[in-house]
Amino acid sequence: MYKVTFKFENSEDVTVFAAFGESLLEVARKTNVAIDAPCGGNGACGKCKVKLLGGELESKKTTHISDEEYAEGWRLACISKITADVEILVPDIASAYKSRMKMADLDSEEEVQIFENLKEQIAEVGIELKNNLEIIDLTMDVPTLDDTMPDNERLEWAVEAATGIEKVRIPYTVLKKMSHVLRESNFDVKAVIRRTSKDVFVYDLVPKDKEHIVAGLAVDIGTTSVAAIIIDMLSGKILAKGSTGNGQIRYGADVINRIIESTKPGGREKLQNAIVEETLNPMIVEMCREAKVSPEQIYRISIGANTTMNHLLIGVDADPVRMEPYIPTFFKTNALFASDIGLKVNPDAHIILAPNIGSYVGGDITAGTFVSMIWNKPEFSLFIDLGTNGEIVFGNSDFLMSCACSAGPAFEGGDISCGMRATDGAIEAVTIDQETMEPSYHVIGKEGTKPVGLCGSGIIDLIAELFRCGIINPKGQIVREGARIKRDEFGMGSYVIAFEKDAGSVKDVELTEADIDSFIRAKGAIFSAIRTMLSYCDFDISMIENVYVAGGIGSGINMENAVRIGMFPNIPIEMFHYVGNTSLAGAYAMLYSTESEKKVYEIAKNMTYIELSNVPTYMDEFVAACFLPHTDMSLFAEREGNS
Amino acid sequence: MPFNAKSGKFSASINTVEIGCGDKKITIGGENVLPFYTFDAPVENAPKVGVEITDFGLENEPECIKKYYEGCETVVDMAKKAASFEGVDFLSFRMEGGDPNGANKSTDELIAMLKEIAAAVDIPLVVCGCKHVEKDAELLAKAAEAVEGKNAVILAAREENYKNVGAAAGLAYKQLVGAESSVDINLAKQLNVLLTQLGVDGKSILMNVGSASAGYGFEYVVSTMDRVKAAALSQGDTTLQMPIITPVASETWGVKEAVASEADMPEWGNQEERGIDMEVETAAAVLAAGSNAVILKHPESIKTISKMIKELM
Repeated sequence: MYKVTFKFENSEDVTVFAAFGESLLEVARKTNVAIDAPCGGNGACGKCKVKLLGGELESKKTTHISDEEYAEGWRLACISKITADVEILVPDIASAYKSRMKMADLDSEEEVQIFENLKEQIAEVGIELKNNLEIIDLTMDVPTLDDTMPDNERLEWAVEAATGIEKVRIPYTVLKKMSHVLRESNFDVKAVIRRTSKDVFVYDLVPKDKEHIVAGLAVDIGTTSVAAIIIDMLSGKILAKGSTGNGQIRYGADVINRIIESTKPGGREKLQNAIVEETLNPMIVEMCREAKVSPEQIYRISIGANTTMNHLLIGVDADPVRMEPYIPTFFKTNALFASDIGLKVNPDAHIILAPNIGSYVGGDITAGTFVSMIWNKPEFSLFIDLGTNGEIVFGNSDFLMSCACSAGPAFEGGDISCGMRATDGAIEAVTIDQETMEPSYHVIGKEGTKPVGLCGSGIIDLIAELFRCGIINPKGQIVREGARIKRDEFGMGSYVIAFEKDAGSVKDVELTEADIDSFIRAKGAIFSAIRTMLSYCDFDISMIENVYVAGGIGSGINMENAVRIGMFPNIPIEMFHYVGNTSLAGAYAMLYSTESEKKVYEIAKNMTYIELSNVPTYMDEFVAACFLPHTDMSLFAEREGNS
Repeated sequence: MPFNAKSGKFSASINTVEIGCGDKKITIGGENVLPFYTFDAPVENAPKVGVEITDFGLENEPECIKKYYEGCETVVDMAKKAASFEGVDFLSFRMEGGDPNGANKSTDELIAMLKEIAAAVDIPLVVCGCKHVEKDAELLAKAAEAVEGKNAVILAAREENYKNVGAAAGLAYKQLVGAESSVDINLAKQLNVLLTQLGVDGKSILMNVGSASAGYGFEYVVSTMDRVKAAALSQGDTTLQMPIITPVASETWGVKEAVASEADMPEWGNQEERGIDMEVETAAAVLAAGSNAVILKHPESIKTISKMIKELM
């Protein structure tokens, strides 16, 4: 066995022992050292670059590493084998995707405002903001030698007397604590119940004099990132909010690679474990601490996730999702409880999954569509969720059409050499001086945070600016030279936005021609999906009155830039609205308001799904859209004049 | 009611491009109707036919071609002979030996040969590269310089090397730039946009939108040409109004129908006839789909196709 030491830029060393010939990436994965490998570890993407500090490592040089870099010790972790004791530096950029769990500051207006606005909007359309969880007071006779009714019957009688409903269900968790709680409070208790017309389910018993919060958990599980909130189920108030990277990411950046990984022996357990044990449970613990509730007080969970993510979460076979005719195991399921999948909350907590409507349009979109309110408007609107998959919904109060396109992880920083999630250190906005080619940019985080990489909104800005300044041509090739332009030994150009000395990383923060190409494909996928879907329904872009853009790609998107590079249709800027993480907002609505939950099911049922791969013109539209702004320049003609 | 034929002519037209210089120069394009739709409006410039030779001379040519070049010692001899075949409008010299994955001949060697050919023949010249993008960037830039004043077609600039080839051929030495894309209307258009943004005059661009031998994914070729012409004429898309030149010989003389010997495939019949058939069928189809010029190899094919063009005009 050899000693492998992982060193980090900003945290403590991790040491582990590995056998001869083991892959460095595998060793890192086993040790929970996060190294990004969106390609799944086959040497294709070049994102798992690490630096050899000492010892030995068997590792070939690839096209992802220049001679100079190789000499400095840079290696790809996935093709490196352990042959001796070794010391490895894992740069921030390699683990940036797994940026530490982050708790939102709920004192800041913005964080809470989104949900307050949503509640208002829901109330405006006449949907009741109420769920069927409640707390009732119960006072029972204290048992005596003459009154020998057992505790559970006594409780059932009391619940029936209080609710008028005969059928009372008491689960094992309550049975276990019942004797103690009843006696401690002298048979004067509060019960957390769920009431339907047919029965009452008793979730919990607490002494009457004790403050007790009935909490719920809403989660957005994205392919790349996870965000969640804990709420008070009775008032709808947000008690805690957190976000983190999806722990499954080390098994591949996109859903297809994850599904393939899940089909390997033990794969389904491994992926479920990565999301439940490694991602959600630690987040729940942390959020409960913030919210000052115990995890057992979470009595209901609502989840917005794409079809693959909700399949992998509950551990069912996701393989059919990726294979023709693309039929998932379920669209909607009600038969799921926290204990079934090992979520550390109240074991009887029911899990609401926002319904899927196709293999590539999942619960995150049905929940998001609800939040966008496009289903309640007479005018035609477009709802776009920018994630690893781009999903698009078009319609109004009469009909809804949806489709998905594979944009790749570029919007969330994947497949981009210096890409990262929209967290501390990410450049989220850029402008460039046309003369000098010098950039100015804004970095997420505290004042003075150094740039580590680029998040989606930063990439959109950077490409739009490079194009505006004539630094790149419409194909994304760099056509100007200067201090900020680098060329590698294969002639591939890159634009350096922050040199090593100014960056919070051990290397330059740059955007290469290959990155630009990946991004152009991503934006091309979105634009061509919009065009294809509209023409499929015999509509055109001029009929759109509102565009709602969702996704966690930054704190906002410069819509003008997004249109200038041909990612969104050329319509007036005021028609665009950035609506943030609608999957989480939708999960919140479904959690807090039972009528909203029903509405989401209704929306899902009425939404038509178009499989773009079956539309013959899609490929053609896609190639046409892989150009800045578009091969058909007339689509963006007026805007050209403005810039 | 009497039948009134409606003319199908368009208000837009294909660019008119002159190739070569002096008495033998040719003109292609200019039409405002679909290919050979002379009943809609007169087509001034008939499609043209070129003959192809390569820097390997007779070395790699099939037997059935060799006999037509009897007595030729050098590539220059071949060029002179080829120029005299019936129906030939222009000469195409392909420097396939330059490919680093093949013979890897030096740029100097090939350019010297090109200069000799250019001096020996007076018909218009099309200079083709070796299809290796990096080598072509250098080779074709030098070729553009070597034939300065000849108004030759430099075939081709591709997306990967359009800057070098386009700048040398289109800007520095005022040749005609062949823009090669791979069987996709959008890619063809994108390359034209890139070249014009580089400063190349759209009127000195010819397109090779990609080709294949008939039967080898050929539907894509035909539909691409159809759509390019439709966009150029009916939508007046100026970025697609460049005439199309299609190398046919280099596609058809490599497929099994043309190369399998009669001994191996007795049921297929005479090999030479098969080779000619493939070339004629492919050329006829790409002309009908909108090509303004084709490059062929077998003298019989050239004769047949130029006769076809004459009779259709």
